[in-house]
Amino acid sequence: MKALDIKNLEKRYPTGVEALRGVSVEIDPGAIYGLLGPNGAGKSTLIHCTTGLAQPTGGSIEIFGHDAIDNYAEARQAVGLAPQEPNLDWFLTAEETLDYHAGYFGMPRRERRERAKELLETFSLTEKRDERTRTLSGGMKRRLILARAIMHRPRLLILDEPTAGVDVELRLELWHYVQKINQEGTTILLTTHYLEEAEQLCDRIGFIAEGQIVAEGTSPELAERFDVPNLEDAYLALVGRKELSRSHIELTPEVEA
Amino acid sequence: MSAAQIRLATLWRREVNRFMKIKKQTIGAPLLETFLYISVFGAALGSRVGDLHGIDYVVFVIPGLIMMAWATNAFSNNSSSILQQKFQGAIQDQLSSPASPAELLLAFSLGGFARGMIVALLTFIASSLLVDLPVEHVLVLIPSLFLVGFFFSQLGVLIGVRAEQFDDVAFAQTFVLTPLIFLGGVFYSATLLPEPYETLTHFNPLFYMINLVRYGFVGYTEVSIALSLAALTAATAVLFLVNLRLFSKGYRLRA
Repeated sequence: MKALDIKNLEKRYPTGVEALRGVSVEIDPGAIYGLLGPNGAGKSTLIHCTTGLAQPTGGSIEIFGHDAIDNYAEARQAVGLAPQEPNLDWFLTAEETLDYHAGYFGMPRRERRERAKELLETFSLTEKRDERTRTLSGGMKRRLILARAIMHRPRLLILDEPTAGVDVELRLELWHYVQKINQEGTTILLTTHYLEEAEQLCDRIGFIAEGQIVAEGTSPELAERFDVPNLEDAYLALVGRKELSRSHIELTPEVEA
Repeated sequence: MSAAQIRLATLWRREVNRFMKIKKQTIGAPLLETFLYISVFGAALGSRVGDLHGIDYVVFVIPGLIMMAWATNAFSNNSSSILQQKFQGAIQDQLSSPASPAELLLAFSLGGFARGMIVALLTFIASSLLVDLPVEHVLVLIPSLFLVGFFFSQLGVLIGVRAEQFDDVAFAQTFVLTPLIFLGGVFYSATLLPEPYETLTHFNPLFYMINLVRYGFVGYTEVSIALSLAALTAATAVLFLVNLRLFSKGYRLRA
């Protein structure tokens, strides 16, 4: 059984835009799968279809064997989502954010309290537990969003550009959390624009462009497939911008000096 | 508690938590507004008007004000809450949970229902301290108020889901709901109006709701109670089913 099994997924918006055109993705339990692609390639739409935030117009999605479209309750129970845009509820405190999220997933009160306490501690948010989310710093919001995503102990964690716009320190901190969560047995689907992030964290990587998976494999496999030395060049080949490859950049004499 | 019960209770608790955190605006302001209506229309003008159909004017007005408090608060709570959550994106946390469309709809509806009930109850208590407010037909009054509350909760949900900007909510409240309430006979008896205004009033659904609640309190009505209750029940059920369909289809909630 796959952690995530997407077959021929299609999404056409009412405007006529075809965001996904027959995407198929399989992720094994316990893996970290990276989804790379330029803006507008369909990464977020794929995630939204998987988590119920968008309704596919074709294809199928199974999460640990549960149909995520028609029999969504059990499928969604198994998924945690940390979205790209911070979407915290301004009216709630950090602790309430975790408590309410777990409540939406049917977790009993005592378990919610213990889990929230544990995660606030893990993500260094204990001192801020009674602060409303809108007063938290950007880094704290990111950590809280990640804590919220794993609050109900999902078996599949979806991270949509978790490190976009964060400083180096927080990025490394988030990588550490992601690896720790994965080591505890959680399967992870990660979208990112940072190629070193994908290389560092992911077991397998899929390239998505114009609503289709155009290549898939490990980082060395993708480099080999595009006949280039590394993942970055493979990505540039995919988006048709080989001329940007660092191997083409010639240092000026001033710089060399 | 089952997982579904925990989910529903949490979704509802979130709605109540929201309005209780801003209670000066959500509870205090409507209470003050109602108190001002009672003061101006009841105490100040009432002494000049005297009786209406044998009922002291201020007592005649208060049932309509209690209904109005429940209706407008249920409506504005739900429409604002849903639109705010759509704006923030916070609603995604609920939409990506295992909650069914019916659970989500019920929780949103009951949030506004609870706020309306609190304001209406406080208005009733305050009014009872100021005047001798009878309750003639409690078995009509309670179902009528509950139906009115649930109807406007549903209407608030509908407007909140459809709305794309705060202007949409304000438009519905200012240009549709408020005129219907004011022209539905909260402050006067329709029988006092000249034609064609008396007849036109009978086309206003709020007129029937006000009469139901007024009958429950003071025993006076200008319409058939059974027919009004049946029509209100049917309208509420239809609105609930419309909303349920919107939630099931994810209309303006899911992409």
